[in-house]
Amino acid sequence: MESVKPYDFMVKPQQQKDWIDGRGNFIAFAFFLGGISGGLFLASAYFDNLLGMFISWLLAGAMGLSYMIHLTHPMRFWRMLMKPKTSWIARGFSFIMLFVGFTTLLLIIRQWAPDATGAIVTLKVLAGIFAFAQSIYTGFAVSYVSAIKVWNSAIVPVLFVTCGLTGGLAILLAVMMGQDSGDIVALENIIRVVLIALAVIIGVYLWNTTYSSAAAREAVKRLIGGSLAPLFWIGVFLFGIIIPVAISIITYFTEASSGLLITAVVSEIIGGLALRFAVLKAGMYTPLLPAD
Amino acid sequence: MRWGMAIELKRCVGCNECVLACKAEHFLPPDIFWNRVLIGEKGKYPNVTKLIYNVRCNQCADPACVKVCPTGATQQREDGIVWIDDTKCVGCRYCMVACPYQMRSMYEDGNAQYFPGQELTEHEKIGKVLYPHTPGVVTKCVFCKERIDAGLAAGLTPGVDREATPACVISCPTKAIHFGDLDDPNSEINRIIKEKHGHPFHPEFDTQPSISFID
Repeated sequence: MESVKPYDFMVKPQQQKDWIDGRGNFIAFAFFLGGISGGLFLASAYFDNLLGMFISWLLAGAMGLSYMIHLTHPMRFWRMLMKPKTSWIARGFSFIMLFVGFTTLLLIIRQWAPDATGAIVTLKVLAGIFAFAQSIYTGFAVSYVSAIKVWNSAIVPVLFVTCGLTGGLAILLAVMMGQDSGDIVALENIIRVVLIALAVIIGVYLWNTTYSSAAAREAVKRLIGGSLAPLFWIGVFLFGIIIPVAISIITYFTEASSGLLITAVVSEIIGGLALRFAVLKAGMYTPLLPAD
Repeated sequence: MRWGMAIELKRCVGCNECVLACKAEHFLPPDIFWNRVLIGEKGKYPNVTKLIYNVRCNQCADPACVKVCPTGATQQREDGIVWIDDTKCVGCRYCMVACPYQMRSMYEDGNAQYFPGQELTEHEKIGKVLYPHTPGVVTKCVFCKERIDAGLAAGLTPGVDREATPACVISCPTKAIHFGDLDDPNSEINRIIKEKHGHPFHPEFDTQPSISFID
């Protein structure tokens, strides 16, 4: 509180810090991991890539670990399953548990009983549903907060899911390159479409948010021209969109080198992480006192 | 029964006595405030109005914090008071993020003291025994529920009898804060809110606060 002048406190829009400073960094990281884990599973299930599914399972575990670090009383984590009726964090925690559970079973059966097609398809569908839920709930957890207008948008869940999907597809591309798979061209086509969709969604989100309230407008200003501009333009725009889109255009016309594709993969992952941090850092509370 | 407050803004002189009374009553650690005095200005010279708002948890009838809490640690009693069960809080801070009034704090440093490097004051020592706060959990104003409960058990009326009324209310030197039962149509607080046109702070947040402000 020492840095806040008495007359500024709650008179000017205040940045939320609980989910971004200190331990708060880990919830942003958990949201990012949840997104790419869900996206990677969906992409891997579509291309029936076992290694991709395994990595998504590992990423879900890493998401859980990041959550634990965020909590001040991690040994009570099981209590976070208690209120799925009203709390998105409780719902999300249930989704993670169910995703990890179904994916574990899927990986075991796929590895040691590959002929059990019925069980594999059923588990793939169930795990896929919870992969999607795990990816989208992070957006709902944020957009539910009506106090922070820049978050309180129906576009946020769509944005987070699409961003998770781009990250997941990028990791799958790296996996398939390592396996020398023949499906890389099909995967690259999907990546191009999702990347363009992501760029459009980011644009619509920012445009739409400026109309919701003065605090939200202030937050968007900080993102595109204020203190968060380097994070947004370099992290989200350059790494998340421009570099991958440029590389995907090059690969459309010419045969791309693996070095170029790896650059695109790393760039997309950095962009996805930057997007979560940018959105969480942009969160500003509406001032409580009128100051005109 | 639903406990509520009415705060007369014109009577408040911004002396912070309510803040100190709360600190003393609940043995609040350094940097933890359950109520605050916000000071602002409205208008431009020469037509400037100074605004002094004494704010605390609004004990909302439809609280966002209770809904978002994943563990059920943040609960609402039948009398409307929202409180936190220290043994259930995991410290995820979702309630802090969701509260539009920003009236929640995380008690992080269990060893924090008012005069670092020196011995704890007698008040701090007593507080650690009488009103221990659990580090790593979220804290907030609870309308002095201990005083209310003890007062009701002794047959007293909160808002009327000092012993059963929140500390900030009885400490106010200008009697700017009124306390009582919002569900009782004949209560003094309802009369004041009605006669003086009390209104909630930021009703657009849509949480139905139990605290009304009177301009």
